[in-house]
Order: sequence, then structure tokens, then C-alpha cells
Amino acid sequence: MGTAAADEPCRCETLGVSAEAAAILLAFAMRESEAPAVELGSALERLGQRLRPAAADASRELLTQDLAACVRALQFHDRLMQQLAVIRNLLTRYTDSGNLLPTMAGFGAQRWEELLAELRERLTAETHDELFELLVRTGGVGTHGGAPGSQAEGSSELF
Amino acid sequence: MARILAVDDSPSMRQLVKLALSSGGHEVDLATDGVEALEVAEKQQFDVVITDVNMPNMDGIALVRELRRRTNYRFVPLLMLTTESTSERKQQGKEAGATGWLVKPFDPDRLLSIVSKVLT
Repeated sequence: MGTAAADEPCRCETLGVSAEAAAILLAFAMRESEAPAVELGSALERLGQRLRPAAADASRELLTQDLAACVRALQFHDRLMQQLAVIRNLLTRYTDSGNLLPTMAGFGAQRWEELLAELRERLTAETHDELFELLVRTGGVGTHGGAPGSQAEGSSELF
Repeated sequence: MARILAVDDSPSMRQLVKLALSSGGHEVDLATDGVEALEVAEKQQFDVVITDVNMPNMDGIALVRELRRRTNYRFVPLLMLTTESTSERKQQGKEAGATGWLVKPFDPDRLLSIVSKVLT
């Protein structure tokens, strides 16, 4: 009896591996999404510069409104990064930090494939459910409408 | 037209703030955290500083506190632009010497009108 239990990975261990994997995936996703957002921002900046000397007519007014809408909308990326960073930090804190995370320096496509292979070996199927539970428990995944404090979004106050 | 220093550790946010302020005819310089902002602010004088709160190395509240110690920034408008909206954090900003507190996401026109207001 004791032998069978000893052969199975302990729940904490598999959960730890899942959390570690999730932290790495989050860090990777955050890094991957930064460049397109910056590129979009640069394109918007160039558009804005081209608009400035243009004559004030109706189409320019519409373009200006569209630019303002893009500026508002693109801020989703900053918010997303903050939310992901919170989840990543929670997961990193949860795991026994020793194994994969410190090897992330010099992260490239080849390194990523090596990390994925290592994770595939260590990750068991049932840990996916446990990982989801962990994310919900730590508040990383919202199940109800707006986030706390969302009413204050876009507000301003001069002291 | 004013000379504005925008401080944020997020590259996309820096670009968006610059875009919004430039469209109003302002000249915008950028810094990635409080330490870099202090260096830039010591080399040249800005009319307004807009800073994020949560940043590595030196956060926005510490930056405001440091700028207020300098005689040439004692009366310069210093605006916080952040996702933080709790009264405790706002109070910390106020005590550090911030002129105002803006909660992200910002609207470009609203940001421009606030800048105009603090400049008058």
C-alpha cells in the first residue's frame, strides 16, 4: 500500500509544477505581447504626426476621433500586463522557486522549446484542474463582471 | 505649448501618453522609472510631470517627493496617472506633493484639458 502511494507524485509536487509552468507561460506571453503593442503605439504616433499639419476638415476630425479611440482602447494592454504580472507573482511565490524559473535568462525560441519539453515530462493531466482552481482561488480569474475599483476608472482629481 | 515629462515603465503607455500630449502641441520627453525621470528632470526644466505610481527602482510617489525637494520643481504641476484608485494611495500622493490623481485608462482629450488646467 505504502509503495503505490510513494510511486505517485504528491499533490503538492504536481501542483507546484503546474504553478511553475503557468508562471513561465505567463512570463512568455507577457514578453510576446509587448512588441506588437509597442508597434501599434508607434504606428499611432506616426499617424498622429501626419495629421497635425493637415487642414482642419471633417475627415481630419473623424481621424482625430479614431486616434483618440485607439489611445483609449490600446490601454487594455497595460491593464492586461498588470493583471498577468499579479498572477505570475502569485504563482512564482507559490512554487518552490528552485527549478525552471531561474533558467529563463537569455530566453529564446530554442530555450523555449527546451523548457516546454521539460515541462511536458513533469506535468500530469490532472494538474490542469488544480491549476485552474488555484487561479480562481487567488483571484487571478474574475468570474463576475467588473473588477474592484472599476467605477473609478478614467476619473481624475486635482488636489 | 508646454514641455512635459511622462514617466511610465510600460513602453505602450509611454507611447500613448506621448501621442495624446503631442496631439495637443506639447513637447514630450519620456522616462521609464523614477530614477531616470530624476536624471532627466535635473538636466532640463519641465512645465508638467506626469507619472505612473507603480514602477521599478523608484515609484511615482517617491519621485514626486524627490522633485518637490528641488527648488525648481516646488511649484511645477506633478500629476499621477495610474490604475491605483484607493483613497489611501491618493492620500499618499497628495502628501508627497502631487497636484492631481488621474486613474487609467485615460481619455486623450481629458488628459489635455487637465494639463491645460494645471498650467493656468
